[in-house]
Amino acid sequence: MTAVRVLLIAVGIGIAGYGVALALDEPRVILFRMVVWALVGVVLHDLVFAPVCVALGFAGRRLIPQKWWGPVALAALCSVVLVMLAIPVFDKPGMRPDNLTVLDRDYHAGLWISLAIVWACVPLYLLAARLLPLRKR
Amino acid sequence: MAVLRSTPVTARVGVWLGAAVAVCFVTGLFSHFIQHPQPWFYWPTRPVWLYRLTQGLHVVSGIAAIPLLVVKLWSVWPKLFERPYLGGLVRQLERGSILVLVGAMIFQLSTGLMNIAQWYAFRFFFTTSHYEMAYVAAGAVIVHIAVKLPVIRRALGEPLDTGVPDTYRGISRRTVLRGTWLAVGLATVLTAGQTVPLLRKVSLLAPRSGKGPQGVPINRTAVSAGVLASARSPDYRLTVTNGDRSHAFTVAELAALPQVTRSLPIACVEGWSADGEWTGVVLADLVAAVGGSADADVRMISLEPPGPYSRTVLPARHARDSHTLIALQLNGETLALDHGYPCRLIAPSRPGVLQTKWLSRIEVVQP
Repeated sequence: MTAVRVLLIAVGIGIAGYGVALALDEPRVILFRMVVWALVGVVLHDLVFAPVCVALGFAGRRLIPQKWWGPVALAALCSVVLVMLAIPVFDKPGMRPDNLTVLDRDYHAGLWISLAIVWACVPLYLLAARLLPLRKR
Repeated sequence: MAVLRSTPVTARVGVWLGAAVAVCFVTGLFSHFIQHPQPWFYWPTRPVWLYRLTQGLHVVSGIAAIPLLVVKLWSVWPKLFERPYLGGLVRQLERGSILVLVGAMIFQLSTGLMNIAQWYAFRFFFTTSHYEMAYVAAGAVIVHIAVKLPVIRRALGEPLDTGVPDTYRGISRRTVLRGTWLAVGLATVLTAGQTVPLLRKVSLLAPRSGKGPQGVPINRTAVSAGVLASARSPDYRLTVTNGDRSHAFTVAELAALPQVTRSLPIACVEGWSADGEWTGVVLADLVAAVGGSADADVRMISLEPPGPYSRTVLPARHARDSHTLIALQLNGETLALDHGYPCRLIAPSRPGVLQTKWLSRIEVVQP
């Protein structure tokens, strides 16, 4: 297995190195903006998004009855994903007046409807779990 | 070991994330090399929907990777604060490689998602940066898998609940995994309708509903291409050349040539696609009319002023294909101005950006 790992590491460094070599041909200012974009993404995740999730999880475990934890956590995860997908379309920042075939849905309604469906599933799931003879965990 | 943020969860989500990244990387390379042909790269004309499939998969797998990355990062986030923060050289290399991995993944998924919504808030060129960073991300993933291979193998070989105390009554690891698959399914259903007609009505967050003139969406409009006047001019001619030989066709002359109708998808690099019934002249017939070889590449030049997509070279394999048309009609109507009136290229299994619209010249490339 060691040989496989060494080989994989060499291949991985080679591929990543090729990408870096390509990027180094960009003007310095472009390269700088790319690196900043990636680093800001990491910082936003590690130091903003993740701590907020911890805080919400901490609060949730104290405020919400235990049997609700599972479905509420899943609904929260789905909501995060919905919001991420909605950000680039919600207020149509990429809209151009000459092309009405892009961003041609009502994304406000789309986000609220999908969030409503996700959260409606929480009580429905708990109701179903009570009524149906589901096996215990 | 924490019950939920645990290696068995990380490894299982990681397998799926790795698969999504692999599909995304390979399909992305296909698309790149179709647009930047290399002698060693072969791209077939059949099935006609091949590019529709690969580019649809590129965007679908990229979007599926978003919830997978969210859960994967959630599952390992506490490791960020493990001591030693800096440690020795090996520790720093490991942390540095993780920083590159996470940064490149976030870069790829965020710019890709913004690009399909045509939101260019970043001030660098999308295609080149997305292409360069793809190698960085893919290489970092491979290094990461190699470094973690023993941990991954052990975690996947053990039952999911390894190490969970009997007294534990909180959310189960199984629930976390099921929730992850659920979020992946939800993200897919809510966006894939722009390429999967069956999902069109439920894809509430897809950047395209699939509507458009003559039932097909558009990317580049006649206004943004600056061809409003030239495309409708009575002086319009389509000039077909082969070295010294050349023939100029009026729209009426093109329409008087034998017409063929083909069902071909138009598939955009941005991941949307739509089927169309295209009617027009077989390109090979026009090439033959000026004595061009079936083994020659053919250059397509648009009325659009020179720019990155105003001219393309169609490989001989596609140029001689009986399904490749110079289309005058779409879905039974004269081509709409935004679809490339008076005539456009439509070839099987090619990115929409290379299906040149508002054609003014077709040149048989001389060897």
